[in-house]
Amino acid sequence: MHLKNRRILGAALFFVVCTASAATSSKAEVDASAIVKAAIDYWRDTSSYSVARMTIHRPDWERQMTIRVWTRGEEQSLVRVVAPPKDAGNATLLVGNEMWSYNPRINRVVKIPSSMMNQSWMGSDFTNNDLAKADDLLDQYTHTLLATEVRDGHKVYVIEARPKPEAPVVWGREVVAIRDDWILLEHAFYDQADRLVKRLTTHDIAPLGGKLIAARQRMQQAESPEEWTELRVLQAEFGVDIPASTFTLANLRNPR
Amino acid sequence: MLLQLAWRNLWRHRRRTWLTIAAIAFSAALLVFMITIQLGAYDMMLESALRTYTGQMQIQRAGYLDKPQMRTSIAAAQALAEHLRARVPEASVAVRANGFALASSGTRTYGVPVVGVEPEHEPGVSTIPALITAGSYFSGPAAQEALIGATLARNLRVGVGDELTLLGTGRDGSIAAAVLPIVGVFASGNPELDRNLVQLPLETFQEIYAMGDHAHAIVVSGPSLDAIERLEARVAAALPESADGLVLLDWERLVPGVRQLIDADMVQSWFVYVVLIVVVTFSILNTFLMSVLERTREFGIMLALGATPLRIGALVLLESALLTAIGLAIGVALGGAIAGYFRVVGFTFPGMKEIYAQFGLPGVITPQLSFATLTLGPAVIFAFTLAAALYPALRIRRLRPVEAMRAA
Amino acid sequence: MSSTVRLLAVLAWRNLWRHPGRTGAILFALALGVWSMVSLAGLTRGVLEGQPERAIANLTGHVQIHAPGYRDDPVVEHSMPPPGPELRAVLAAGALAWAARVRVPAIVVSERESAAVTLVGIDPAQERGLSFIPGAVVAGRYLESVDDAGLLIGRKLAERLETRLGWRVVVMSEGADNELADRGFRIVGLFDAEPEAIETGYVFVGRRAAQRMLRLGERISEIALVAPERDRIDSLLERLRAAAPDLDVRPWTEIEPLLVLTEELSNVVLVIWYLIVFTAMSFGLVNTLLMAVFERTREFGLFQALGMRPRLIVGQVLGESVILIALGLALGNAAAALTLRWLESGLDLSAFAEGFEMAGYSPVLYPEVAAGDVLAANLLVLVLGLIASLYPAWRAARHVPVRALART
Repeated sequence: MHLKNRRILGAALFFVVCTASAATSSKAEVDASAIVKAAIDYWRDTSSYSVARMTIHRPDWERQMTIRVWTRGEEQSLVRVVAPPKDAGNATLLVGNEMWSYNPRINRVVKIPSSMMNQSWMGSDFTNNDLAKADDLLDQYTHTLLATEVRDGHKVYVIEARPKPEAPVVWGREVVAIRDDWILLEHAFYDQADRLVKRLTTHDIAPLGGKLIAARQRMQQAESPEEWTELRVLQAEFGVDIPASTFTLANLRNPR
Repeated sequence: MLLQLAWRNLWRHRRRTWLTIAAIAFSAALLVFMITIQLGAYDMMLESALRTYTGQMQIQRAGYLDKPQMRTSIAAAQALAEHLRARVPEASVAVRANGFALASSGTRTYGVPVVGVEPEHEPGVSTIPALITAGSYFSGPAAQEALIGATLARNLRVGVGDELTLLGTGRDGSIAAAVLPIVGVFASGNPELDRNLVQLPLETFQEIYAMGDHAHAIVVSGPSLDAIERLEARVAAALPESADGLVLLDWERLVPGVRQLIDADMVQSWFVYVVLIVVVTFSILNTFLMSVLERTREFGIMLALGATPLRIGALVLLESALLTAIGLAIGVALGGAIAGYFRVVGFTFPGMKEIYAQFGLPGVITPQLSFATLTLGPAVIFAFTLAAALYPALRIRRLRPVEAMRAA
Repeated sequence: MSSTVRLLAVLAWRNLWRHPGRTGAILFALALGVWSMVSLAGLTRGVLEGQPERAIANLTGHVQIHAPGYRDDPVVEHSMPPPGPELRAVLAAGALAWAARVRVPAIVVSERESAAVTLVGIDPAQERGLSFIPGAVVAGRYLESVDDAGLLIGRKLAERLETRLGWRVVVMSEGADNELADRGFRIVGLFDAEPEAIETGYVFVGRRAAQRMLRLGERISEIALVAPERDRIDSLLERLRAAAPDLDVRPWTEIEPLLVLTEELSNVVLVIWYLIVFTAMSFGLVNTLLMAVFERTREFGLFQALGMRPRLIVGQVLGESVILIALGLALGNAAAALTLRWLESGLDLSAFAEGFEMAGYSPVLYPEVAAGDVLAANLLVLVLGLIASLYPAWRAARHVPVRALART
């Protein structure tokens, strides 16, 4: 089984879940970790709600799914499928490292066992782990500022993230490009021989939910051009009040 | 004339001749018996490897074997299977579809392969339907029921009647989910299958996994292992034009280890046989040698009377050949009779049944009787003994008539 | 009496070399038979009895101690506290070596692939003299301490994961709190193991590193030990059970019941082979002795006429037989010893690797010499050989002196 797009959702959340109150005006040239933290803070707030369309592309087929995502703090998220109708109602709850799946047709909640954390999430290119470990980029890596570039009038920080020795990360290193308004432009994953394995790139930046966010991003497998997954944000709200009861098994099963 | 002489000479030492014949007969009978058992055992091994689950051959979409992906499927698989059943009536044909699911009992969850099978045809290609240890087999082709391996049942802490929750991904990428009661638990003896496998009726599977009329394998098995190649040709010929992109894979492709296991055993067995044959050959070499040595005087007279050493050598060889032939005839008859007896009652020995029972096999070997199995061993013995007889025969060339007549 | 024996021995020895060719032929047959018995026993033991040895060395040990339930369901929740003083005392007194391990199912993930494995947390010092792993590292290094967070993985697993020595992989499992437990490990050593399932199915790390990752505290999954003799562990078992009444104490025979069966089966097969080879040899032996007796009919008659008792004639023939058999045994054993010594470094059958793998055997075969097998082969040939020689001896003694003398 191919390990795919680990951490893609983390990257995806860069634009799905943003907050208007991020430190956009901060100009202090701080260290690389602080830039990454600022970028994460930009998309991860006390809470968020968004709607996105996910396209999974393969050489011989393509499939689209619409999802609604709620997040609260760093530990809690809920993803619910709205379309296609066949899959509508399927949901995934993440609390910390634990993960549950709900299917409306059978009205059952299944806890995802540890051994399955590396499997695909709902048939997509995300692994369960990608969802569960979205915020690892902050504390499991050491960051180095590789370069500062200027793109489209914006300053862009190119930062290398190397996983710490004990980090549950398979990559040799990751390279992120973050714009000075804390929008993630690019996230590349290299293996330990320093070959590019996959790359997430931002294609559209648009104002949604009151601020500029990456509205369309695509994760591309480096070795197979016909395999990619695209996420397009349709709607976003930030800093909304989401009750803690949203992220419970009861709510996973009986949405209110 | 020479033959008559040789025949008469043979019986000058009845006891020695009979003893030698007995040695040859013994080894020939043993070889016949061992080879028929050996080939019978291979059949059983193949049976165990193929009958449990794999089947003698499978039709799959090209590429599925190396990279089993859900989308690499066969369209209208059941129609194709019906077509094959009509064209190749002697074969058992069963359609299977393979998927993956999180199988959960509520308290426990494991990731397992899930297979959709045709309940009415699966028993023809797999022993699993007959190896149900609790509950029963599927009640119909679209029954909302699940069958699981014994180890998996234990690990999930479920039994017959309990609910099994399956959560996976369908062929179209949609979410596949089902809650099915467990109708039966099987113990195939294959630890991998018992620990992992969940089976559903094919139509149930196709619905859950959004397969439509697609499936992943059409398993074909014939009544006998001997006819596999013929069956393969028949099935290949019966595949319709529309089967483009499908491949017929024989068991050597599906389970390559079995062929190697047989080859390895073949090498080892022939090592054993050759040792046995050489021991016997040297045991009887003395008989041939003595028959020349003790007749030095006689041969001297024959030489003096004008017989050529070549002719005398031929006589000695003929005697040996006659001796061997009698021994082989008795041996083949005896070995064949023993093999034939075990063919009727089945061959087994202590311990074997227990081992094979674990694989759902009777643990009884049916010796394989054929012209080849009956004659191959004896033919090798014949070659060896003739080679042994050559040495005494060649000694005759060294005889000088006068000295020879004086001898003894 | 001793002078009679010496006389008989001298007579027998001289008689033997009256026909060096004949004696040579039968000697060769005897030696070959004995050689095949002993070396085949060595190889069979290597394949079959090597199985328990290998399993024991692999990880089983002679006795295993687990928390109840672990054997059925080897997960982290079936863990137990480290051995208390009482159990430690029994282990120290009764086991040659013992080790406490953490052993749980896990997933190893590299950049491109992942594989299901068993994660074993070991005390590298305790494993010495107990399991294969200390001696199996072929690249990099062995673990240095219980705190060593370096990972040992099989060479084939590394290939499958497309990773290599010095790289990091992620190991995922379930923690003691039933939550995901995962962390990165640097591969510090690659190991080779047989069968391949071990090489691809196990990864090793320092025990405390595993305990930390799994949030197990001091708890362990299993204690394995080797006893001085694997067939005499009953009293040790009793003491262990008394010292650890709440734990599941199992001998290897219960952990690997199939191995016990296979071993019994191999005994049956060996005995059958011994009898077959012996029968083949005995024809030659009896025939040769009979010839020797017949050509010396006059001689025996003379002896008897001179007052030699039939018993001594029997003794003379048996003496010849003993010398023949003894020489055959000596030559056969020596040849077998040379053969087995030559194969000591392993008989490589990797051409059939997949087949052997399927049967659970290693493709490299190391002969195992069991003193019992060698003794059995030698005694069988000697005793049965003498019994078979009784017939020619009896024939020799039976001749009436006058008639014998009259015969030319």
